[in-house]
Amino acid sequence: MWYRSASFILDKQEQQRNAAAESRPLSPASTAMAESPSANVSMYYQTRAAHHGVVSSDWLAQAQAAVAGNSDDAAAESNDSGGEEIGKRFSVVDEFNNWRKQPDLAEAVAAIRALASVIRSSQAKTMMELEIELKKASDSLKSWDTTSISLTAGCDLFMRYVTRTSALDREDFGSAKSRLLERAEKFGEISYKARRIIAMLSQDFIFDGCTILVHGFSRVVLEALRTAVENKKLFRVLCTEGRPDRSGLRVSNELAKLDIPVKLLIDSAVAYSMDEVDMVFVGADGVVESGGIINMMGTYQIALVAKAMNKPMYVAAESYKFARLYPLDQKDMVPALRPIDFGVPIPSQVEVETSARDYTPPQYLTLLFTDLGVLSPSVVSDELIQLYL
Amino acid sequence: MWYRSASFILDKQEQQRKDAAESRPLSPVSTAMTENPIANVSMYYQTRAAHHGVVTSDWLAQAQAAVAGNADDAAVEKNTSGGEGKGNKFSVVDEFNNWRKQPELAEAVAAIRALASVIRSSQAKTMMELEIELKKASDSLKSWDTTSISLTAGCDIFMRYVTRTSALDREDFGSAKSRLLERAEKFEEISYKARRIIAMLSQDFIFDGCTILVHGFSRVVLEALRTAAENKKLFRVLCTEGRPDRSGLRVSNELAKLDVPVKLLIDSAVAYSMDEVDMVLVGADGVVESGGIINMMGTYQIALVAKAMNKPMYVAAESYKFARLYPLDQKDMAPALRPIDFGVPIPSKVEVERSARDYTPPQYLTLLFTDLGVLTPSVVSDELIQLYL
Repeated sequence: MWYRSASFILDKQEQQRNAAAESRPLSPASTAMAESPSANVSMYYQTRAAHHGVVSSDWLAQAQAAVAGNSDDAAAESNDSGGEEIGKRFSVVDEFNNWRKQPDLAEAVAAIRALASVIRSSQAKTMMELEIELKKASDSLKSWDTTSISLTAGCDLFMRYVTRTSALDREDFGSAKSRLLERAEKFGEISYKARRIIAMLSQDFIFDGCTILVHGFSRVVLEALRTAVENKKLFRVLCTEGRPDRSGLRVSNELAKLDIPVKLLIDSAVAYSMDEVDMVFVGADGVVESGGIINMMGTYQIALVAKAMNKPMYVAAESYKFARLYPLDQKDMVPALRPIDFGVPIPSQVEVETSARDYTPPQYLTLLFTDLGVLSPSVVSDELIQLYL
Repeated sequence: MWYRSASFILDKQEQQRKDAAESRPLSPVSTAMTENPIANVSMYYQTRAAHHGVVTSDWLAQAQAAVAGNADDAAVEKNTSGGEGKGNKFSVVDEFNNWRKQPELAEAVAAIRALASVIRSSQAKTMMELEIELKKASDSLKSWDTTSISLTAGCDIFMRYVTRTSALDREDFGSAKSRLLERAEKFEEISYKARRIIAMLSQDFIFDGCTILVHGFSRVVLEALRTAAENKKLFRVLCTEGRPDRSGLRVSNELAKLDVPVKLLIDSAVAYSMDEVDMVLVGADGVVESGGIINMMGTYQIALVAKAMNKPMYVAAESYKFARLYPLDQKDMAPALRPIDFGVPIPSKVEVERSARDYTPPQYLTLLFTDLGVLTPSVVSDELIQLYL
């Protein structure tokens, strides 16, 4: 019937998983940190409100109220398990969250820094031991938020570097350890520079008098636009409202501060305005092996409209977002769900599509601006191989 | 620069019109009924909240508060001009609004009834006089809300019938008058039956196990789905949220009462869900000469996505919605603006795209279900000629 796409199997699996999660009693010791307190809302979205500047306080209050019951439980549970479990596991996720609180810091960088702190506080005497500890920490980070691609990709990249380093077993333990720490810090620098590099690369594409359509709140895209303003370019921006995250309102706030003419569109008005637009500019949550991107819900729709009207679509993504994933259709990803507030009560029989992300296939993307250069989608898999080799 | 499309001329004209409206002092007698109190919000949307069932009372309060200042002025002006202006002019719009309060009544039918009441209360002694009175009343109705296409079309169709009748000048005045009244009532019957006819015609297209995507709140579409549910068909409906009117929430309420499985999507999630969909079914505010439709903002976007994924798009529209219009692009229509509430204050520099409608060209539509039968878009202009001859 309507379960026509092969991914109804995934839907069913998710149903079973949800049913199992609800029926299984939560034992604080083993499951406190390894499971999101509310099984069907991504951890990322629960904590995101606290970490990024939210536009209005009542929205924040609302989001917290929705999460409050669960987060109180989670806090209680993590306090309980702190003493029982290995101190490290607790501190990795905690450390990670501490780093995330800085608004300019990318998720993957926060993850790397958390892993670096694991290295610093490690009691291991050999490389193998350290590697095992790191692997455990990396796994707990990844399982704390299964939906975040850049987090997973960042952890994977760092672990590959660790593995590669430990293979060169010629030096003593102390200097290997310090080299790993150095690398972690260098990674932080690379990531910050990545945004600068991408901003510089995109300057050639922003010309005077152009109209840019922006969807979602991406710090990389904002950096690029900020740089363009500093270079005294004249352009204007249309941004979509970005329901229900209100990302467009945050973007328009930022751009208004830079004195860029901004126009807010509701999500439905993209096709209506598309003929005034010269290019579409989005960030990415993750770049997949096919060269497509995973980004905020609505990106695929905008890509389809842009393709229909022959407008170029540019993606700004740092290289650590390249992930070893290959989604075959929209449902073939780890589901990232979020609460959607319609403002009015909805009848209980009515379902709601709560997914937060969609997948945009590579044929709809024109170019990707990365710190490795300006790439076409077909080149992404080559770059991925080089990164992960 | 960004004024690339030829329609920037229309934007400029609108600006000039607005400036002129603001600077021209309102003289109660001549301009009370012929101008909207709020120059840039369509009258239709101001009064719509009061006429259709609105989901929440605080949204209603909000809308009324936004309109309250002006509505009070408008009411005062109307009252003062009631004595000064012609009695007919006052009562036509009033009568129209009274009829509109019935939720099941279509706008064009309300207009015809208002015109019928003009005929009844007319003091004219000859056909010519009556025709002139009707023309004045029809013009005042049309200018009261310049944005409603079915209103304009309904008035035009009735006026054409009047002109045709008055040309056959063989009978006496009394019977001509009663014939016009009869025709007005017949029109209303036709319109009610139109919904039934369209619902019957669309039954062939709704099959067991299908998934229908619905956008906007159309009573014709709801009638079709209701009929299908009564015929014990098994299908499910995805409806878009319909920002900012929340039309999707009203549709989902109605469908939940019929026990049809409904899923609510945010507007951004249409492309994400489009591969599960078998057909798209929308209503229309107006059907234009090219065979395209004017409908709620977002319809064009959905049509593009459906075309990209090869899904049929069906439009359910009564024949009195066929209008003598031929928009060349999105901006080539009488603007219908509406307030959009983002929930948070927006910086003053930020513009907002407030248009309530878009135009979907005929190449994206598969079939139109009308009371004249199931038509392809190319046949519409032939039918139009027959209607208006």
